[in-house]
Amino acid sequence: MKQGSGQVLDIIGTLARLGLAAVWLVSGTLKALDPDQTYVAVRAYDVLPTELVGVVAEVLPWLEIAFGVLLLLGVGTRLVAGLSALLLLVFIAGVTQAWVRGLSIDCGCFGGGGQVAPGETAYGVELLRDAGFLVLAGWLLVRPRTLLSIDERLESRPVARSGEGRD
Amino acid sequence: MGGASRNERQRRQEAARQRLAAAGITPKKSGLAGTNRTSIILVAIVVVVAVAVGVGVWLSRTSTEPVAANYPVALDGTAVAAGQANAPITIDVYEDYLCPVCERFETTYGPQLATALNEGKIKVNYHSTSILDRFSNPPGYSTLAANAGMCAVPAGIWPAFHKELFDTQPAEGGPGFTAAQLVEKGNALGATGDWQECVTSNRHAGAITAATNEAAANPALQTDGQFGTPTVAINGQKIDLGNRDWLKEALGQG
Repeated sequence: MKQGSGQVLDIIGTLARLGLAAVWLVSGTLKALDPDQTYVAVRAYDVLPTELVGVVAEVLPWLEIAFGVLLLLGVGTRLVAGLSALLLLVFIAGVTQAWVRGLSIDCGCFGGGGQVAPGETAYGVELLRDAGFLVLAGWLLVRPRTLLSIDERLESRPVARSGEGRD
Repeated sequence: MGGASRNERQRRQEAARQRLAAAGITPKKSGLAGTNRTSIILVAIVVVVAVAVGVGVWLSRTSTEPVAANYPVALDGTAVAAGQANAPITIDVYEDYLCPVCERFETTYGPQLATALNEGKIKVNYHSTSILDRFSNPPGYSTLAANAGMCAVPAGIWPAFHKELFDTQPAEGGPGFTAAQLVEKGNALGATGDWQECVTSNRHAGAITAATNEAAANPALQTDGQFGTPTVAINGQKIDLGNRDWLKEALGQG
């Protein structure tokens, strides 16, 4: 019985891992494909000095893609989930400050971004979505064990060796 | 896989650890927060590579030294015609002083354009439009800035003033610069003539609105049925700014 629930949890974790991987891969790729738009999106948050906006806008897409690849392969899942959660918290902070300050911007979460008409903001939806992603990251942070992961192989390798010697 | 085999695995794992310990070998420890050490190293490598790629791209796109403008400018309608009249390539640039992508455009290509203008390879018609008037609060900064840009031509400061307005571009949704602030910026650059009066009276506002409407209605300048800034046309042909080598390629053809 216990074993069965463990498998279910493994499957849930695997779906969370692959889901979060998809989120990062899609969002990172869309940002990387349109660097000017990404620059505008980052600038629109009106938080960073202009010199930093450029660096952040160029690095962010690649960082997201890196998280996506690592999660897809299941390398260092707990660590990457932690880093993902940190990045998501930064996004949530960014959107929240924009909302509180009364800016009218699109979060640019999946490409796009920048200024929108005051009536066209969607901060609530954007924050809810980020919170959903944060739940995925949180699950993996608490329970990083998943199926079809490189972590699994790395973990089991020394065990397998000692087992071989013994059998 | 029953619970028994799972326990068996754990037991064997423990036994293996004890045998290794007895042999004086420290087994590979699970590192940071229970994550395998190898995977931490892999994560570090991938993240560092990603950051390096981003910084590399950023460095390659960050423009070099600013280029001192050494070309004639004249007003042509509401456009600022820059460069030698006999230059073989004509480039039309449609901008808005409040548009962040235009700031990006100027930062990226400004020095290249200035170099080609200095060398007489191109002439550039800078059309300052007012499509983002409603994105300042109070509205109208785009027009005010475009008007000041036109005033900067007879005042003898256009290249520097144009660059200054993009270098210090105010954020969308904010107040922008007031007429008084624009006057001050021009004075600091050595504006002459009736600069102050030209800026404060917003003299060319009507003409700018008309020119903006005309540009926006021109199908040849639209992308997916919409006019936006920056839009660039070479010898009348709108080009794709997604191609970062557009200017180099145009110069090669010229």
